[in-house]
Amino acid sequence: MVSRTVAKDIITLRGSAAIVSEFFGYAANSILYNRGVYPEESFVKVKKYGLPMLLTQDDGVKSFISNLNAQLSEWLEAGKLQRVVLVIMSKATGEVLERWNFSIETDNEVVEKGVSREKSDKEIMREIQAIMRQIASSITYLPCLDEPCVFDVLAYTDKDVAVPFTWIESDAKLIANPQMVKLHSFDTKIHKVDTLVSYKNDDEWEEQ
Amino acid sequence: MILRTPPPKKRRGEAIAAESPPPPSDRRLVIYDHNPPPVPPDSSDQFLCTYQCRQMVKADFVDALTTAEKQLHDYQSKLEALNQNLSKAEAESKKFRDQFLYTEQELVAAKRREQVLQEQLLKELNDSQQRFRKQLQSYNELELKLQNEMNLREKAESSAESADGKATLLERKLSQLSESIEREKRHLSDELAQTKSESKLSISRINADLERMKCKAKNAEEESELLKEQLEGVMKQFNECLHQKSEVEKKLSSFTLQDVTPTENNPLIKHLQEELRNYESEVQEARKLKSSHENIELLKEKLLEEKGRKERAELQLSKLQELQLSLNNLENELSSWKLMMKDIPGVSCHEDIPVKFATLQKEVIDSTMKMGEANARLKQMEVSLDLAQLGKQNAEAEAALAKEKAEVLKSEIKRIELMLSMVTDERDKFRSIINELKKPKNEEMTDEAANMTIVQELELSLVNKEFVIKELENSLCQQKELNDRQHNEIRLLNERLNDETRRIKSLEREGDRLCSEISLLESKLGHGDFSSANTKVLRMVNTLALGNDAKQTIEALQTELQKTKERLQAVEELKSQSGDTGKLVDSYISEKILKLKEQIATLEKREERVLTCISLSTQQANNYTSQPEISRQIEIFIRKMNSIPAFTANLTVESFNRRTLS
Repeated sequence: MVSRTVAKDIITLRGSAAIVSEFFGYAANSILYNRGVYPEESFVKVKKYGLPMLLTQDDGVKSFISNLNAQLSEWLEAGKLQRVVLVIMSKATGEVLERWNFSIETDNEVVEKGVSREKSDKEIMREIQAIMRQIASSITYLPCLDEPCVFDVLAYTDKDVAVPFTWIESDAKLIANPQMVKLHSFDTKIHKVDTLVSYKNDDEWEEQ
Repeated sequence: MILRTPPPKKRRGEAIAAESPPPPSDRRLVIYDHNPPPVPPDSSDQFLCTYQCRQMVKADFVDALTTAEKQLHDYQSKLEALNQNLSKAEAESKKFRDQFLYTEQELVAAKRREQVLQEQLLKELNDSQQRFRKQLQSYNELELKLQNEMNLREKAESSAESADGKATLLERKLSQLSESIEREKRHLSDELAQTKSESKLSISRINADLERMKCKAKNAEEESELLKEQLEGVMKQFNECLHQKSEVEKKLSSFTLQDVTPTENNPLIKHLQEELRNYESEVQEARKLKSSHENIELLKEKLLEEKGRKERAELQLSKLQELQLSLNNLENELSSWKLMMKDIPGVSCHEDIPVKFATLQKEVIDSTMKMGEANARLKQMEVSLDLAQLGKQNAEAEAALAKEKAEVLKSEIKRIELMLSMVTDERDKFRSIINELKKPKNEEMTDEAANMTIVQELELSLVNKEFVIKELENSLCQQKELNDRQHNEIRLLNERLNDETRRIKSLEREGDRLCSEISLLESKLGHGDFSSANTKVLRMVNTLALGNDAKQTIEALQTELQKTKERLQAVEELKSQSGDTGKLVDSYISEKILKLKEQIATLEKREERVLTCISLSTQQANNYTSQPEISRQIEIFIRKMNSIPAFTANLTVESFNRRTLS
């Protein structure tokens, strides 16, 4: 739920958390489609951020992403979420092939005092649109994923966060000597999200 | 004040003749002397006359007197006017004198100011020179320090290089030693293999000998058995003979009692005795053979033992020789090691080598740290050198500015001196004029006009001079102000420039540092590193994979279940078909059936558990927790007991019970 008045473009903490979690949902769907983790026919086109976005129709993936977004929204409202990483791994070997890193900077004053900020919704939408375009165009430089892949989502939270029932502690699933590409960022004045994709080095790909 | 002393009284004619020449039209001043000029003689003749002439002369005289009186009045009025003018001129001269004195004072003040300025300039020059010298000294000191630091750095580099060289040498030696050790190991392993092969050969030889000896022993045993059999036969014969002997002796005793004719029995007895002796001899031979056989066997065993010992000894001898050779080699190598260790300073035994390596590594690390520190100091020195150079440049600029200022001031001084010279010239002129004016007023008539002109000229010149002086002063002040402003501006600009350059350099350094930090952080960020003190990584349980895995396990369990059920059915059919075939078969089959049933039960339990896990993981958390039973269980197991495994175990048990009981 985004509590914002159209006239003044006031952004509250809850609204910003909803924007960010919604963005992550659509970004995850876009990544899964563009990287071919799931077949194209399992995706359906919808309009969002002024762009045609693709959403999966797989019930399992849908429920997974919706549960994930609910938890991310809760952590964002508490100001406890530092980073969200979507990891793409080889199904056969479990090797991490790509890491889509979404770093989050939270304005602690808003979390502590409950104040709100002002920013134009159009501006936020424009920034998110730029990121979505970059995700879509990432296939031009990212290596092809020829083998069947699976995905997972990691959440970097504060140390004092209580681990929910459906979550477990995990390792960071890092890539050794990755290539990194920094994408655009968007800022709601409460949460600033930086996007970065790291993938396995091309030389290592060729050696293998 | 023009004083005119009346000329001495002369004759009228002379006076008139003297006064006859009209005053010059230009009204110039004629200076009267006490010695008037000689009167021309012709003029006195004009006044020699008769009575009529006297009357005429009287009338003329009266007329002349009246005219003279009129002229006198005129002259008096003129004199008064001139006196007024004179007083005015005197006042003006006083003014001019005052002005002159004022200008003199101003000149003196300007001179003093100039002196003060010169002194200030000199002081500033001296200060700037001192500063310059100090900066040069500091620059030289910094250069010296830089050279020292460079030397230290070179020394450190050379020491680091030498340490590296030593380390490389030591590493090479170590590698050589390790190679030699490996060679020795290989050699020893080869020797060991050789010894093993030799031992195998010897073992094979021994085995062959053993077999031979076994064969021999078998043969000997067979022989001994044969001999034993012979012996037994012989013993039997001996016993028989003894028995016969006893019978014969009995018979003999009985015969001796009966006195039977021994002639027929004696050869028999003898024969029997001979046979007995033969048998005894045979028995003794057999005993001897037996003892000899036993001795032979003992000897054989001893021989074998001795042979074995001999072979062992030979082997050990050969090994000993080889060991001695290897020992000699090892001793040589050990001596070479020891010599090498002696070459290495600070190492007395092999255990010191790693310590020495560690110390060398520490030394290398320390030297690199020192190098880093020296580099940091060098950079600091470079920075200070740059600052000193900037200061030097500033000082040079300031010195140049001071020089320019000094030149400007010199030019000003020259101008002021010129002005002063001009003013002194004018003052001299004024003084000369005043002196001239102080002379007697005898020549008033001509002098007054000349005085007027002179005064006017003086006034004009004074006015011009004043104007010029004012203009010069104004220009001087303006130029001074301009110069001061420019100097101040230049100083401020220089200071600002220096500050800005320093700020720019510091900002550049900070920018470089920040860029390096940013790149490091970005690499860490992209890599996914995090601080475990502040952050933890959580992962949502991936129900998709879990579901797939669970499905796979379910499928596998189901296949196993089907297989076991089929087996069970087959066994039961077999049992039904062959019910009377042996108790063992029945028991075996029943056991197998029991086992299969147990497997089926376990598989079904596993399937139930997997299904419950899937149902647990795929259900929505909210719907799940909203159920009263589950919320109660959550309160009990998770919140109170703080144990998730207990909760899941309870859930599985309850679901299993539900499914099995239902």
